[in-house]
Amino acid sequence: MGIEVRDLTRTFTVGRRARRRTVEAVRGISLSVAPGERVAFLGPNGAGKSTTIKILTGILHPTSGDATVLGIVPWEERRRLARRIGTLFGQRSLLWSELSPRQSYRMLAAVYGLDGASEARRVAELADLLEAGDLFDQPVRTLSLGQRMRCELAACLLHDPEVVFLDEPTIGLDLLAKQRFREMVVRLNEDQGTTVLLTSHDVADVEHVAERAIVVNHGAVIYDDAVAVMRRALLATKVVEVGLAAPVPVPDLPGVTVLDHSEQSLRLVVDTRVTPVRRVLDALLAGPAVVDVSVVDPPLEQVIAEIYERPAS
Amino acid sequence: MSAVVATVPADSRWRDLRAMAAALRTSAGQAWAERGSLAVALLFYVVVVSALSGVWRAAATNGGGSIAGYSAIALTWYIATSEAAVMSVSQRLIEDTGRDVADGEVAIEMLRPTSVLGLRVAAELGRSLVRLTGIIPVGLVLAVVVAGAPPRPAALVLAVPSLLLAVTTNVTAQHAFAGTAFWIRHVGAAWFLYLKLVFVLGGMLLPLEVLPDGVAAVARLLPFQAMAYAPARLAAGHLEPWLLLGQVAWLAVAVLVARAVFRAGERRLQETGG
Amino acid sequence: MRALLATARGALQEAGANRAALSWQMAVMVVNDVVWIVFWALFFDRVGELNGWDLQGLILLNAVLTTAGGITLGLLADARRIGALVVEGGLDPVLALPVPTLPHLLVRRVMPTNLGDLAFGVTLFAVAGDPTPGRTAVFVLVTLTATVLLTAFLVLIGSLAFFVGRSETGEIGFHAMLLLAAYPADLFGGGARLLLYTVIPAAFVTTVPVRLVNDFDLADAALLLTVSGVAALAALATFQRGLRRYTSGAVWTQA
Repeated sequence: MGIEVRDLTRTFTVGRRARRRTVEAVRGISLSVAPGERVAFLGPNGAGKSTTIKILTGILHPTSGDATVLGIVPWEERRRLARRIGTLFGQRSLLWSELSPRQSYRMLAAVYGLDGASEARRVAELADLLEAGDLFDQPVRTLSLGQRMRCELAACLLHDPEVVFLDEPTIGLDLLAKQRFREMVVRLNEDQGTTVLLTSHDVADVEHVAERAIVVNHGAVIYDDAVAVMRRALLATKVVEVGLAAPVPVPDLPGVTVLDHSEQSLRLVVDTRVTPVRRVLDALLAGPAVVDVSVVDPPLEQVIAEIYERPAS
Repeated sequence: MSAVVATVPADSRWRDLRAMAAALRTSAGQAWAERGSLAVALLFYVVVVSALSGVWRAAATNGGGSIAGYSAIALTWYIATSEAAVMSVSQRLIEDTGRDVADGEVAIEMLRPTSVLGLRVAAELGRSLVRLTGIIPVGLVLAVVVAGAPPRPAALVLAVPSLLLAVTTNVTAQHAFAGTAFWIRHVGAAWFLYLKLVFVLGGMLLPLEVLPDGVAAVARLLPFQAMAYAPARLAAGHLEPWLLLGQVAWLAVAVLVARAVFRAGERRLQETGG
Repeated sequence: MRALLATARGALQEAGANRAALSWQMAVMVVNDVVWIVFWALFFDRVGELNGWDLQGLILLNAVLTTAGGITLGLLADARRIGALVVEGGLDPVLALPVPTLPHLLVRRVMPTNLGDLAFGVTLFAVAGDPTPGRTAVFVLVTLTATVLLTAFLVLIGSLAFFVGRSETGEIGFHAMLLLAAYPADLFGGGARLLLYTVIPAAFVTTVPVRLVNDFDLADAALLLTVSGVAALAALATFQRGLRRYTSGAVWTQA
């Protein structure tokens, strides 16, 4: 039992009187996350990600559609579900700032109904798993952001949840801290089988953590596939950029999309499964106007940005 | 640096004054734009004056018609005015100013060629005057409705410039107080103490005549009476124009002390690096 | 229950972590409260007794007010922030926990400054309130009802945010209530006195409690309990209703 969502819809009425309008935050989202999967939930701001998460954690009712998390309908049994899931919202802290993490864990253990022995065992386990043992006894405000996030992660895992929702957890962390955090999440999933649903803007989170990526935009799912498949599509595309001395026409070849076209430069995306790069280059270099050439792999951002542009499947 | 400050050329002083006038106008405009919070302040004023003057009126009625020489009507006008004088000024002034000093905000302002103190006082005055302008008509109506006509209209007229002096002295003195934040970190909490001194020894909650003789004598010598008692005494019907002279004197003292504190503070910033 | 106690304990520890700052903040509030006692001492020294009230009565009144206020604003500190939390999406982290929302919300934060009021009120009664066992028992009772009344008022005002958005008017109403509770209702004339027993029930926060401590009367006590009980139920019901509205998505937040 993981997460099952079918045709989820959520509309809001916003504004007062004359300026009242309906906002469709979520339009018929369907998705499925198997137990033990690591899934990235992507989308630009306003895409409907946080609304979906709120529905899945039971904070919000959908306007229509079904969803179950661990076999429980979230908005019908919010507190019962809350015992079995963990949530980490990047901007909101689970920990008290003047106290040490361990002291906050004591409070959380009581909230989740863990007895003293279970709490001690679990804290030790998490200290090990997240390599954070030496951090647990310092006041939270003395920790760096990266250290704090590891302690926050431990906090949301204290009650051994089967599913964790991580919302932008790496925001504000430096590169090294991000890497470490990602490693922890993967380790957590592989070690304990915890299902992970990670909301993120950071493509590297997708690359290093997720096995599958679900992309939403304008309230609907526009891509849902394994990250490996995404990457393969990536390998099949190349970005060709040429510097020009004079304007040149775009080569009329299949599988070629224009990214940028000005008097001085031309950027193209080439689907190499349709047209080999060589043919595109031959077409461009035929004239004397080209002064510079580069052929690169598009960054994952590019791929995802392109996906954002797609209409709902 | 102190030499430069001491011999400020005339045109630079003129520029300072113009900057202050501009600051006053701007902050007044802003305060007027935030009429919502002004309405809240007025509402509180009405509640406080109604309750407190009601208590004093009951006391006067019970005490044979007057307390310490004030009739029930006089007491109402007294409280309406003393509260107007104090409530026009932001309750958080010392706390906010002290925090700005401690956080280095003022240090940055000191990089500008104009007087930091002057600008801040002018800005705060702008806000306070807007509030006072709202409170005065409300206070007038309230006092008339709840108690009756002012005991001596001539004295009431004098109360208006007295209120202006009271507010200005209050704002300046609070800045002097807040300036200690150049040396002590937690001046914010001490604003409570300052306000309470104004409440009792300044004659906001009660006329100074109610205090025991020894305490009253001390209170008359302190600057706080210039911030509440003076205009209130006038409004209560006592034509005592020398109160205004006392206020002017205290205003001058406040200005001198505030300037000295800020100058010393600026020097300290330069020595310790802010 | 265990969760609630643990949360409250955590909140207290958090507030007390910085001893120096805590002492300073508490001391400041105590000075603030002392000034009012000084005022009343000066007042009654000049005025004598008034409508059955004297300095002793005002001392009791202040003891009840500061103790109840200290508990409401100090120990149940988030009660006054409910409106803001609703509008800013600050309820969501609480909703994500397997706890009943309102109780957890109330105990999870302690405001150090107002603990000074609490300390002052209790000390004042102990020192100057003639704390016989009987009077002490009544003092505890009426302070609790006053706390319930104040907290209920705050919860009710805050819950309006579920329906009409953030309510500054409500917050003003609360401050007005505190202000008016600082005066014995008996000192005012008919119309005002009625107001203090109905629209802004400040009389039930201090005037009636003091009367009970000095002269316990079963009927008055029953009335006080009823008023506080009704207020508590109304507050709970409004909050629950509002929360249902919130989770059904009828409330648009900034989150």
